[in-house]
Amino acid sequence: MIGERIYKVLLGPHISEKATIVAEGNGQYVFRVTGDATKPEIKQAIEALFEVKVESVRTLNHKGKTKRTVRGLGKRKDVKKAYVRLAEGQDIDFMVAE
Amino acid sequence: MQVSVETTSPIERVLTISVPAARVDEKVNSEVAKTAKTIRIDGFRKGKVPVSVVKKRYGQGIRIDAVEQIMRDAYVEALQKESIQPAGAPSIEPKSLAEGADLEFVIKVEVYPEITLADNSAIKVERIISEVTDADVDTMLETLRKQNSEWTSVERESADGDQVTIDFVGYLGDEAFEGGAAQGHKLVLGSNTMIPGFESGILGAKAGEERTISVTFPEDYQAENLKGKEASFKITVSEVAEQVLPELNDAFVEKFGLEEATLDALRAEVRKNMDRELNQAVKSKLKNSLFEGLSSINEVEVPSALIDQEVDGLRKQAGQQFGGQGFDVSQLPAELFQDEAKKRAKLGLLISEIIKSNEMKVDDERVYAFLEEMAQAYQEPQQVIDFYLKNKEQLSQVQSAVLEEQVVDKLLESAQVTEVTLGYEDAIKPKAQAEEVGEEA
Repeated sequence: MIGERIYKVLLGPHISEKATIVAEGNGQYVFRVTGDATKPEIKQAIEALFEVKVESVRTLNHKGKTKRTVRGLGKRKDVKKAYVRLAEGQDIDFMVAE
Repeated sequence: MQVSVETTSPIERVLTISVPAARVDEKVNSEVAKTAKTIRIDGFRKGKVPVSVVKKRYGQGIRIDAVEQIMRDAYVEALQKESIQPAGAPSIEPKSLAEGADLEFVIKVEVYPEITLADNSAIKVERIISEVTDADVDTMLETLRKQNSEWTSVERESADGDQVTIDFVGYLGDEAFEGGAAQGHKLVLGSNTMIPGFESGILGAKAGEERTISVTFPEDYQAENLKGKEASFKITVSEVAEQVLPELNDAFVEKFGLEEATLDALRAEVRKNMDRELNQAVKSKLKNSLFEGLSSINEVEVPSALIDQEVDGLRKQAGQQFGGQGFDVSQLPAELFQDEAKKRAKLGLLISEIIKSNEMKVDDERVYAFLEEMAQAYQEPQQVIDFYLKNKEQLSQVQSAVLEEQVVDKLLESAQVTEVTLGYEDAIKPKAQAEEVGEEA
């Protein structure tokens, strides 16, 4: 992967109730990633940026809702999320990372 | 919690307090849990934010708040435990704030000094004995006559004390200068309201007479262009009037709105007022000199917090005297009031010590008597008394005044009192003036 691509794959951490639960229970950390990111790419990017060992990556595409407004139909952005499982004993502190 | 007290001076205590880490953590955790219930963070439903997230985000701030609160609580607790009476706000300085370690901090606080009252018999005061005599009443009536005097125009040369009505124009060289002219100006000769030489220049003039006088403006005259200049004034006297004192008769008495318009009634009324004034003056002089004596025989270190309080009070008073609303009181320098404030604070300490050591309480009968006396000065005494009795705040002011009186009595019992007989005039003069008079005599 070309160097620049690393910085473009990850859009940011996804913080929610579920994300907290999986982080504490399974050692999985949730990120929002670009729509065209692949699992190997995400793995590489995270290992490079956070200096951790990635066990596995699972992704999902979240289609944006269509919303009706006065001016007709609108559509919210699609989001691709990645659940990244780290090697045992490793973690990412988003507060510090940000 | 561990407390160690150090006495650095009679009015200062240094407390070193250490609170175990467990107590701090417990407090922090409970605070975090409380915040988690109410806080709103994106991505979480309200009240469902995990404690770990809250701690990560707000832990630092919460900890600081908690530590502050613990320090305050510990301070209060320590005061009770060591039975310390603080005289002002403490200065708290944390020593170690690190997480996980025991919390240690140092508190410096001023306390009321322990006062051992010196023997009151060392106080020397003069008690003024004075009475209103008939002559004093006459003098007062004379003053009243002067205040109610009238001017009647006379056909004769003006003399000292007369009021003249004049038109005048002032010239510098040949030119009339600005502000140097007036018409129908009323001037009392000998009142020294004009520049020197002006009034004496008119002396002896009759109504209708024209005079030109030359005077020199003084060097310190307020108008720049006239300072030290020589000027001539063209003056036309249109009227000379003489002061006429009203006759002491019933018609004169009527002006004062007494119920019974007779001279005797007026005399009685004047006498009553003078008596009251004299009474008050004598009382307050005695009180002041007693208190002065009290503070001169006792050495007390006064906590600076108390002095600051007094300074604030004096500042406010001064602000009211200058009268302007929106006058920024805090601009007045504290040094201005420092000495006076210190005196007051010291006296306050001494008086409260006397009250405490003699277990004095407010005497309700005296309060009532005090109110009655005060109410005498008003039209409807009973209403005034009722007002005070109903109004808690006012009443407590009266009570403290009475308590002060009781302290005065207590002091009088043991102090060395010399009696001085003075005339009415001298007796009601403010202290500073009276002293001067004494020195001259």
